[in-house]
Order: sequence, then structure tokens, then C-alpha cells
Amino acid sequence: MNQNLAERFAELPHFLSAHIVLSMTALATGIAISVPLGIYAARRPRLASVTLNAASVVQTIPGLALLALMVPLLGGTIGYLPAFVALMLYSVLPILRNTIVGLQGVDAGIREAGRGIGLTSGEQLWQIELPLALPVIVAGLRTATVWVVGAATLATPVGATSLGNYIFAGLQTRNWLSVLFGCIFSAGLAILLDQAIRVLEVSARDRRRGLATVTGALLVLLVAVAAVPQFVTLGGNGPDHNRAEGAPADRGIEGETVTIGSKAYTEQYILGALMQRRFEAAGARVDRRDNLGSTIAFDALRTGEIDVYVDFTGTIWATVMNRPEPVNRYRMFTEMSAWLWDEYGILTLGRLGYENAYGFAMRRDVAAEMGIDSLDDLAAIAGDLSIGGDPEVFARAEWTATRDAYGLGQMRTRTMDNTFMYSAVRDGQVDVITAYTTDGRIAAYDLTVLDDPLSVLPPYDAVILISPQAAARPGLPEALAPLIGAIDARTMREANRRVDLEHQTPAQAAAWLDMQVSDAR
Amino acid sequence: MTDPAAPVLDIRSVSKTYPGGVEAVRDVSIQVARGELLALAGESGCGKTTVLKMINRLEETSGGSILYEGRDVATCDPVALRREIGWVMQGDGLFPHLSVRENVAIVPRLLGWNGEDIAARVAEMLDLVELPAADYADRMPDELSGGQRQRVGFARAMAGRPDLILMDEPFSALDPITRDTLQQAFRALQTELGFSAVMVTHDMAEALIMADEIAVMFGGEIIQQGTPSDLLANPATDYVSGLLETPRRQMRAIRELGG
Repeated sequence: MNQNLAERFAELPHFLSAHIVLSMTALATGIAISVPLGIYAARRPRLASVTLNAASVVQTIPGLALLALMVPLLGGTIGYLPAFVALMLYSVLPILRNTIVGLQGVDAGIREAGRGIGLTSGEQLWQIELPLALPVIVAGLRTATVWVVGAATLATPVGATSLGNYIFAGLQTRNWLSVLFGCIFSAGLAILLDQAIRVLEVSARDRRRGLATVTGALLVLLVAVAAVPQFVTLGGNGPDHNRAEGAPADRGIEGETVTIGSKAYTEQYILGALMQRRFEAAGARVDRRDNLGSTIAFDALRTGEIDVYVDFTGTIWATVMNRPEPVNRYRMFTEMSAWLWDEYGILTLGRLGYENAYGFAMRRDVAAEMGIDSLDDLAAIAGDLSIGGDPEVFARAEWTATRDAYGLGQMRTRTMDNTFMYSAVRDGQVDVITAYTTDGRIAAYDLTVLDDPLSVLPPYDAVILISPQAAARPGLPEALAPLIGAIDARTMREANRRVDLEHQTPAQAAAWLDMQVSDAR
Repeated sequence: MTDPAAPVLDIRSVSKTYPGGVEAVRDVSIQVARGELLALAGESGCGKTTVLKMINRLEETSGGSILYEGRDVATCDPVALRREIGWVMQGDGLFPHLSVRENVAIVPRLLGWNGEDIAARVAEMLDLVELPAADYADRMPDELSGGQRQRVGFARAMAGRPDLILMDEPFSALDPITRDTLQQAFRALQTELGFSAVMVTHDMAEALIMADEIAVMFGGEIIQQGTPSDLLANPATDYVSGLLETPRRQMRAIRELGG
């Protein structure tokens, strides 16, 4: 627990500063867009209703979906940019709406008094209407601040660092301390900023310049301090990339920066940490992009936003290549490698050695009692059963193929985070789950994986994929080459178990895994 | 350069037709002599406020012309024109987020006076309306009574040294006692400072008590114009008699009580 706490605190400066920079830049841009737009629209009722409707539509899109949509809309870019754009859009409605409502709410008599004594429309706006509408505009700004700071925690799956990294990683590894860290600091930040804006408004209303100056200065200081780690990182990146381009072919990756991506579950964190150890041993500096959505990770690799990550042959086969028919594992690996290279220049470094397939798992005692050994046996009682799966599985070709092949259409599907599905089947909340075959909890909870006699489920060999740009840096594949074929299913399952059940950190499990790999050599 | 004998305001056959054909004002001609108060009297919708607003171009005329100090207002910059002419509104029209001092200083500030002149003028104006600067300058409008707010409204209108002040129902929101006090106070100020004024009112008694000249409007036209005693002596139509009937009846009633 102590080490957990220490690790979480060590992450804080990075996560918190990224969170502040992301939400503050999004808010500032949102204000810069919506206040002038609101001023312009307030005097034009038609435009006002059109812009308000458009902003309301954006607002009804769930935050996570808006963030996810930005990735394809921005051509597969991940990281800060899509998160920034989505959060900026998110901040527009409350500020825009309150600017329009505030300005329209200025008493008509006061407006006429202003014209009557000879104010120009500009003077009228700045000296009369905006000051009178300010409390309403500020109320909108406070709403936007709380929304944006909260929604910024959802930026993690699109590859932007934020306090959401605590929450997503904590949820996946059952590290509740980490989840709590994310909640406390993002809520605290939202409250702090909300109150700071309130104090600014009160001091503006009561004309307390001193208080306004102090609060404003503190806010600027907060953002400035938060921005420092960001710029240090950015500054460090530039020259490294330049050096990499001009580097002679036989040079290693010493001093270069390598960006490792990983999806949002335990095994991926461990493998990310393992690759990080390998790169750091070769003298490289590592940048991690954890918790990427499944297809976002592939897009990020294709565009070179990340240099390397681990995926599965079956996943690429079904969701990227859109090949519905399963083939045997060796042919799939060969065809997939050739296809990735031809289509995108992505290098498939090789198979790690283990397979992590989807497997349909039940409690061993329940299965025995009901006489169920294979998926075939489920069809007859499908109407009485419920099946739990992670958020993506029921949308994947593997599920539809399995469902249709074995006649499982009557089963009730329940989507849940993969963290919870193992205990859900253990506790009888669902009858079957779509488990990952390397998960340590299959053995720990005494679950059994049902046979697939029709071989509907494709093979899922774990493979290291390297981006086109990174493939041209010879030191990079070299550093990972020892991992090829070095991790079997038993070893991977043990590493997962250490995190999921013994509450080790992924870094600790990666250290153990690294030792196994080295010993095996 | 202005001729003291010439009228401050010369309204010549002015009309106003709104888009859609509604004729709000038809062929109105009025002159306002220097230092005089002209009342535009009549019921709601008779066009009196429209005439007032055409003088400082809050509304544009559809025909005819308005000469202010010999200049056709149509050729003046409307913003500069409005700064030159005082403006008092129904209610008070004070800016609620500005202090009494800032409200009164706003026109001199817009006219580009220096800070010392503005401060001196604000103090002078507040003294004139009997709200000493030391006690009132830093208050906000919502800390004042209705009568005090309207006094600040007058101070604001006079602060830029206008020679004409336009007033739209300036006393209608006040209670009768405050109204009477302010009516007297306004006439005293006018005598002291020598400005001319046009006041829109629906209250015939107010027009009779305060005005040097009254123009009675009906359906967008002036149906009678003259001094209060002219009107009382020779009402031109039954409509004008009707308007005068209420104040007359009140006077009779008070007299019968032995007042």
C-alpha cells in the first residue's frame, strides 16, 4: 500500500499539470469563441436560436463519445489535440447561452437611457450591457469550468494525459487508491477554480481591486506552474527527434524518445512497463500513452503518434482487416504481417509467445451441474442465460460469429467493465462471461473456459507492432527483440494475477516478468 | 453664435410613418423659445413620445425637418447630437451598476472633459438637485429613493451643459408629494440655468402647472397649441375640453371644501 501511495504521488505532478493545461486551454479558447459569438448573436434573435440549438446538440453528445469522435475527425490524431477540441466544444454551450441570455436580459429602459444620452453602440456594450450581464455570463463560465475539468478525466482513452489516467488505470487494475486519487484531485481542482472565479466576480462587483488582483495572480500562477512540466517535456522532445532523423543507421536508440502505447487493461499496462524497461535499458527515454481505446491505439500507431504497442492477430484480422473468416494461427500471422506492411508500412516484430483469446467462461461447478462442456451445449438453454462482456465485445465480429454459429441469440447480454466481469460470474450475477484466456482470475475463481468445437473464435497471438516511422529506427526493434517468443500463457497469466489479485503495481509485475524473460534466455 | 431671439428648437411639418404604413405622427410643427418649457400632452399612442425621440434622432423622421439651434438634425451626427441634448426618462434610467457620481459624470466624460472639470461639475449638479456630493456621490442607485433617483436623473441630464433637455414622462413613476416637490424644483433649476425643455406627459394638470406652452396631440396630430391659460380659456375641441375636465373638477372640489 505504501509503495502504491508513493507511486501515485510520483504521478501527480505529471497528471495534474496535464489536466490543468488541457482544461484551462480548452476553457480559455471556449471563452474566446463563445463570448464574442454570444455578443454578436444576442442582437440577432434568429442567429441566437440557431447557435444555441447547435451548441445544445453538442452538449447532448456524451463526453466520452465526443472525445472519441474527435480522433477520426482529426485524421487519427490522438493526445492533446482531440481532447482539447472536444472539451473546448463542450465549454461553448453554457458560456454562449449565458452570454446571450445575460445580454438580452438587460432592461430595455436602461438600454434606451444609454442611447438617449449619446453612447455609441460600442460604448453601450462595454460600459452598460456587458457589466450588467456579467453575473449571468460568469455563472455560465463557472458551469463550463466544472464540466470541462470533470470531462477532462475522460481524455485518457484518446491518449491525452489527465487525472483520468488515475481513474482508468485504477479501474482496470482494481487499484481503488488510484481511482480515489483521480476523483479527489479532479473534484478538488473543479471546486478550486469555481470558487476562484466566484471570488473574481464578487471582487469585480464590489470593486475590490486588491482581492481581484490577488485571486487573478494566483490563478495565473497555478496555470503557469502547471504548464512548466509540459514545456519541459516538449522542449526535451524536439532535439531528440531531430537527432533521430540524422542518426547513422547502426546507432542505437540511446538518448532518443520512444512512445509506448497501451490499451486500457492490466495486461497492456504490464507489457507497456516491460517494453519501457527494455528501452530504458538501451538508454532511451520513454513516453507512455496508456489507456488508449482499442482502435485508437491502432490509429495512433498508423499515424506515428505512438511508436509501439502490443495487439493481437485476431483483433487486427477482425476489426482492422475486416476479415470475417477465421484461419489457422500461423497463416493469420503471416497474412496479417504482410498486409500491415503493404497497407501502412507497420512492422510486425513478432509473436510474444502467448495467446490471449476471448473464451466463454462459466463457474466450473455450475457448468458441471448443468452438464455443459462446450458452446454447443448452451444453445438449448440460451434463453435462460445471461452473458457479461467488456464494452467492445458485443460489437465485435467474434461475438456475432459465435452467437450465430452456436445459436446463442436468446442470451441476454450485459455490458460491464472487464474488471468486474470475473467477480460477476463468480457471484452468479451473470451465467457466462467473455473472458480473456490469460486472465489470472479464471484459475483463481475456479472458472472453466468452454470448448469451441466449430473453431469460430479466431486465434489471438500477442504481437508487437511498430509504427512506420519507428520501423526505420533500427535500434528500436533491437531493444524489443529479446521479448519475441519469450512469454508463454502461464507466465503472462501469473503477471496478470500479481496485479489483479495481489495488488502489485504493473511496474512491479513487469519487473518480475522481465526477470522471467531474462532467465529463459 | 446662436441667436438668443431665435427658437432653440424649430420643428417643421414633421411626420413619421412606420414600415407597414402606420402613421404615428402627421404634419407636426412646434417652436420652443429659449428658456421655455414645452409640454407635449395627450393620451398613450398619440405620437407625443415619437415626436420627442425624433428631436435627438432616437427615431428618424419620414418627412419635414427639425432645426436645433438653427441646424437640421438630419445632418448632425446622431451620437454627438444626443450628447449635446439632455435626456431624462420615465422611471429614472440610471445605470444600476454605476454610482451616483459615475452616472452624473457620464456625459461630461463622453464629451471628453478633463477629470477636474468633471469632478467639479458633478459636485455642482448634485448640490443643485439637493443631494450633496459628500453624502450621495458614492451611493449606488438602489440605495436611493425614487425621488432621489429622479433628481440624479436630472443632474445627469444637465451635467453636459445642454441648452435643451428632453423628458419622457419624468414624474409619472413618483408618488404625488414627491412629484410636486420635484416639479417645483425642476422649474427653479430651469430658471437658474436657462435651458429649454420639451416634456412628454399624459397628465394634463402637470402640463398646466409646469409648461410655458402646451401642444395637445391626438392621433399623431397637434390639435391645439398655446399657453396654459389659452387652453383653459378656449379649448379648441371637445377632446381638449375633456382633457382639461379632470384638473378642473379637482380644483372645484378643493375650492368647495374651502381650500
